[in-house]
Amino acid sequence: MSDNKYWQGFGELAATGEHEKRTQNEFQEDLPFEANNEKGWLDAATPRRDFLKYLGFSTAAASLAAGCRIPVKNAIPFGNKPAEISPGVAKYYATTYVQDGDAIPIVAKVRDGRPIKIEGNELSVFTKGGTNARAQASVLDLYDTYRLTHPKRKVGDKFEEVPTFEQLDELIINAMAGVSNPVLLTSTITSPSTKAVIAKYPSLKHIQYDADSFSGMLLANETCFGKRAIPSYNFEKAKVIVSFGADFLGTWLSPVEFSRQYVQQRKLKGGNLEMSKHFQFESYLSTTGASADERITHRPSETGALVLALYSVLDGSVSTPILDKKQKASIDKVAAELKAHRGNALVVCGSNDVAIQTIINGINELINAYGNAIDWSTTINCRQGIDKEMNELVDKMEAGQVGTLMIYGANPAYDYHAAEKFTSALKKVKVTISFTEKLDETSELCTFLVPTHHYLESWGETEPKSNHISFIQPTIHPLFKTRPYQTSLLKWSGNTNDYETYFKQYWIEKLGSSAAFDVALQNGVLESVSNNSTTGSFNKSGFNVAVASISSEKKGGNIELVLYQKVSMGTGKQAGNPWLQELPDPITKATWDNYAVMSMSMAKEILGIDLVKGKEREINKYEYFPEKPVVKITKDNKEIELPVLILPGMNANTIAVAVGYGRTGSLGKVVEGAGKNAFVFSSSNGVTTEYFSRNVSVTNTGKKYKVAQTQIHNSYEDRKEVVKETSLASFKKDPDQYKKFRDDLAKSYAPLTGDYRKEGTLYPDHAQPGLKWGMSVDMNSCVACGACVVACHAENNVPVVGKSEVVRYHDMHWLRIDRYFVSDKENADDLKSVVFQPMMCQHCDNAPCENVCPVAATNHSAEGMNQMAYNRCIGTRYCANNCPYKVRRFNWADYLGADSFPNNQDQKIVGKLDPVVHQMNDDLTRMVLNPDVTVRSRGVIEKCSFCVQRVQEGKLNAKKENRVLIDGDARTACMTACPTEAIVFGNVHDKESKISKARVENEQRLFYVIEQIHTLPNVNYLAKIRNTDDVEEVEHHEEVKTEAHH
Amino acid sequence: MSLLRYESQVRPPLVKGNKEYHQVTEDICRPVESKPSRAWWIGFSISLAFLLFGVVSVTMEVIYGVGQWNLNKTIGWGWDITNFVWWIGIGHAGTLISAILLLFRQGWRTGVNRAAEAMTIFAVMCAGQFPIFHMGRVWDIFFSLPYPNTRGPLWVNFNSPLLWDVFAISTYFTVSLLFWYSGLLPDLASLRDRAKKKWRKLFYGITAFGWTGSTKHWQRHESLSLVLAGLSTPLVLSVHTIVSFDFATSVIPGWHTTIFPPYFVAGAIFSGFAMVQTLLVITRKVLGLEQYITIEHIEVMNKVIILTGSIVGIAYLTELFMSWYGANQYESFAFMENRLNLNSPYGWSYWIMMGCNVLSPQIFWSSKMRRNITITFFMSILVNIGMWFERFVIIVTSVYRDYLPSSWSTYYTPSIWEIGFYLGTFGLFFTCYFLFTKYFPVVALAEIKHILKRSGDGYKNKMNEIEKQGSDDFVKEHSHDHGA
Repeated sequence: MSDNKYWQGFGELAATGEHEKRTQNEFQEDLPFEANNEKGWLDAATPRRDFLKYLGFSTAAASLAAGCRIPVKNAIPFGNKPAEISPGVAKYYATTYVQDGDAIPIVAKVRDGRPIKIEGNELSVFTKGGTNARAQASVLDLYDTYRLTHPKRKVGDKFEEVPTFEQLDELIINAMAGVSNPVLLTSTITSPSTKAVIAKYPSLKHIQYDADSFSGMLLANETCFGKRAIPSYNFEKAKVIVSFGADFLGTWLSPVEFSRQYVQQRKLKGGNLEMSKHFQFESYLSTTGASADERITHRPSETGALVLALYSVLDGSVSTPILDKKQKASIDKVAAELKAHRGNALVVCGSNDVAIQTIINGINELINAYGNAIDWSTTINCRQGIDKEMNELVDKMEAGQVGTLMIYGANPAYDYHAAEKFTSALKKVKVTISFTEKLDETSELCTFLVPTHHYLESWGETEPKSNHISFIQPTIHPLFKTRPYQTSLLKWSGNTNDYETYFKQYWIEKLGSSAAFDVALQNGVLESVSNNSTTGSFNKSGFNVAVASISSEKKGGNIELVLYQKVSMGTGKQAGNPWLQELPDPITKATWDNYAVMSMSMAKEILGIDLVKGKEREINKYEYFPEKPVVKITKDNKEIELPVLILPGMNANTIAVAVGYGRTGSLGKVVEGAGKNAFVFSSSNGVTTEYFSRNVSVTNTGKKYKVAQTQIHNSYEDRKEVVKETSLASFKKDPDQYKKFRDDLAKSYAPLTGDYRKEGTLYPDHAQPGLKWGMSVDMNSCVACGACVVACHAENNVPVVGKSEVVRYHDMHWLRIDRYFVSDKENADDLKSVVFQPMMCQHCDNAPCENVCPVAATNHSAEGMNQMAYNRCIGTRYCANNCPYKVRRFNWADYLGADSFPNNQDQKIVGKLDPVVHQMNDDLTRMVLNPDVTVRSRGVIEKCSFCVQRVQEGKLNAKKENRVLIDGDARTACMTACPTEAIVFGNVHDKESKISKARVENEQRLFYVIEQIHTLPNVNYLAKIRNTDDVEEVEHHEEVKTEAHH
Repeated sequence: MSLLRYESQVRPPLVKGNKEYHQVTEDICRPVESKPSRAWWIGFSISLAFLLFGVVSVTMEVIYGVGQWNLNKTIGWGWDITNFVWWIGIGHAGTLISAILLLFRQGWRTGVNRAAEAMTIFAVMCAGQFPIFHMGRVWDIFFSLPYPNTRGPLWVNFNSPLLWDVFAISTYFTVSLLFWYSGLLPDLASLRDRAKKKWRKLFYGITAFGWTGSTKHWQRHESLSLVLAGLSTPLVLSVHTIVSFDFATSVIPGWHTTIFPPYFVAGAIFSGFAMVQTLLVITRKVLGLEQYITIEHIEVMNKVIILTGSIVGIAYLTELFMSWYGANQYESFAFMENRLNLNSPYGWSYWIMMGCNVLSPQIFWSSKMRRNITITFFMSILVNIGMWFERFVIIVTSVYRDYLPSSWSTYYTPSIWEIGFYLGTFGLFFTCYFLFTKYFPVVALAEIKHILKRSGDGYKNKMNEIEKQGSDDFVKEHSHDHGA
């Protein structure tokens, strides 16, 4: 952005006072009234003429005012248009999403100078263009109204603005003068150049601290392999996967990469009937557990015993700890599977305990995982923090041995297990500096606030895996007076360069030329992949200690508590992000809160709610009302009150609480009231942090609290046409069971022609001669990470409605992930399967919604899309009622400020809107809106459009290049966001397209949801197959018992 | 001399109290010409207050959006369309009485038709408010009218039952209004002729449309009545049939039911007659018209109630049977679980419906009950509650748990503005009704006079005397032979 001046006349250019005064006056000249004296127009010389003038003017003004519904705002065009920028045409810049250690190579879509959407970078070998919900949502963080806009320092209790960075530097350098022992506390930093910058700072001690620590694994690897590092995992190479509480598809280490690898073995393409077998041992129901073939629940304190038991079955040199019968049987079964698949198996563990991780290493060594599914040639760098170092730092701070503490990315005042201790120790540090984008719990306590760039404004690079560099380049001029923390470090250590210059020099030097650097920036990634997996050199030296440590594990109390991360919130760093807050948790379908999750048996005991055998009215009272019972959880002197959600698949003695909630209000009004901080229940075992408690007490408070869920019913009620899921054994036995249903349908409706499409209805068929868009959703590949849901939000300007509206079932998601539990008939707590079904508009070719719209606002395109004409919609909601998939969403209020009605967001009695809705309407936040998509006004229906704006763009690009449309020209936002390629979109008439192939290759798993009502959806699903041996009775549909819906 | 009878002696007289023409005029015009009573003022004020509350409720909804109601992503229609169908149903009795009973020459209709027709018009006015204001963007309502326009031209969707509603209801309202007004003409002329004050002369003068009572006028009036009756008769059946299409043509289990058209029509007449009862039981008492709206009228209408109530009951049972016999998982869930199961979230509403509509009217098998004013009044309220719940059951309990269990809705209760809107239409209805009773004859004056000489009790008694006479005496008495 240059400092051009735009001027209309010489008066404006010269900026005379008179000119300014004149321009502020709406009517620059008075009307020539003859009564222009003090007497008023009736006393004027010619009142008749004045009257006519008044009349004329007021009529004109009134009609003008009535005609202008929306105030006109002028946009100034480029004076000199840069050659590479065309208004309205998006530019894409390769960069990297960074949040603490997590890094995902992405491409930022920039429209007219502002980034509006995140896509995965397909050049990256390890994500292959996959993203997750947090990366998708991160673009909204850029426009957060609560970001720090300028440097600040604390005077008394208040922060005061420091006008320039020069002044700030002076203040800080003065403050640090004569203070020894500077420490830099950060979350994991994977950037080599940043580490070089830190190394240049004289006598600066750098401590890395992770809110979700992997110290246990790092230290165990140090013992076993001599390297304090994490090897890379390849789930694709594992036929048997055993996870002890590692949520590797959701939040563990590198879930985007792992999800993609994991599903490769589970796609069952082209008649293939082999798939990997996934065992999950866990205490609560994680998203990974939900995808597992077999789940075994246990108390969190039993992890060590189970791991050791598995080891002893495999090796026998250690004695087996005591397990209950069921667990023993499971361990035996798992061990047998692992033995049978030596070299093709992998065991991972989410524990942060050194001993447990040591045994896990031992198991992996026994099953030959190293060099196969585990590769030591490449390490994963995204967690490097060692808890002990952090503990020592806090001790030092308390002892007054730290003079200056600079903090970047770490928020121990919120997520440290001894947060209070940290807070009081911080007071003993003379100079405290926080490099931060937003005020958080820790920076609130610091003296100096040095605001940093959002990653979309930054230069830099990350190395999430060794030899996998992903560059960060700015996509927008910094919005506020912010500065990269690396620049601050350089300045304060006496360097004149800023980080940008330093970074460029660093890489040009490394890559040899600035041309090479430019190419690397353009690609975004610089990855050298070794195809040779290395084993590392394993030694068993730490084993005896580990076994002893596990054997001495104390037995847990009556109720144990486990902390977990949600895919949306993680450790809470992005808690101020409305898209993430409103993203329903894949398991509980709850938004905006954390809560205590417990099993049905525990709920019966503590709350007296029996969801299994209780009275139907009691069950309904729990299910159909958002008010959930509140319990008080107490551990030692810490207690929090949380609402309860009752789920199957929980360990009977364990409650689970998500971390990342209960953040400070200075993060924005968004987070106010959103849950409680559960990190208070984490603790240290002296070496590492434990994210569970062996003994908590849980009491019913008798209070109620509203939890905003987007889905309340858990079972699919055995509705065979809604979801199709079965075990691999039954599928093998009758692979045509789903196809048969479809064939029968055709036979019964069209016995002669077999043309179900034409003969199932009285209406004429929609001709789709050219293109025909379709989507395929593989329920076996969907791991419910929620990336698609957020991508849809961002791409389609889907409004955020806030908790108060979600409670009223007014959520606006165009794409939702339906979740159904399949429980054992005898014991409902015993979860057999969880089915995820991404559900969006099915774009039916015989759409029930299209028929009923009185004004034809929703209609069918010649390419098979069900379209919405928003400005035609009068809002009868008939279409929403008649949609069997219930995917249509109504604008109950003016959520996006799109109306011309003034003051229609200040509801007072009914439907009071949460502050987040107003925040999303802020001019700054609205910069994230996609200009290609209409912002819908109140009173109209909206729904998935198959990203019609992208489809149009793809068609136009093909046309401009004078070629036919090829597969990949048009891809929906959900498809590009998906890390597992569960969603495939394209032209069905193109036999070579991915979608056509997906349908042909998966014919046996292909089904359409409630196909028998003849809606003819353009979205198909692929049945979910669990890799278990139980054979389910297959109902043979001799004749399809359906009612004809014409 | 029984050959001279117009009407069987078995039929009870339709006008009691030995009335002469003049007396009839006096009786019926009295409420119009005298000052309104204190009770009238109180009733009118309460109605007006309700109406104002309704206006506030609707204003809130128009300003802030339909989110002012507690509908949600699964339940797109709740109280709004329930109230719409309920009010439309109520209207049906009026049309049935005025049109079908006219064609069938049912003399008893004359006592009640005026009030029933007025009720129809007001009920349709109330009903119309709901589809209008349930729209998210009510200011674009003209999109639903098919006329050549500058938007393409962009036409309405003739496939949509909601559009059929637009036609059905507007036609219904127009025809009902014309029928009512044309019937009023002779009575308005009577009022004009009796008027003493200037403004009354002016008002009734204009509204009477220059009625002179000439034979030509009467002849045209009669023809017009017949033509309008002919037009209205299919409307009685078609309007609620089309309203039922809103549901019947959909794919939602519980809505998609071929039995709906007859079942809705029967239900509409059922609730309409109940509403007529509610109104007339009060009106006849307050305005002292017991001799014109007799207990016989009440009884006849109670017979219609038990007939239509039983038809509705059979329809309910048929639905249940079909949902079982059809063996369609979704449909049987909608009926067996969403409705029949008392413990399901809305099970109670189904049983209120069953109790009020099917069980309670059975007491009308007893003529003692049919002729009991208190019971009748109580039953009429009960039936209307039942019929409101019937629509609620059909609309809400079908959509709240339909195909995909993922979308099953949280418990829906109306917000204050939804209740306010409903109460507001009561306000509108009764405000109109109070004004009607004050400014228009509540009983059709001219039509009562038509039947006075054959069904009035004075004339029936006179006939009794004639009956006893021998034919010679009769001839003698009535001949013009003056004793030659």
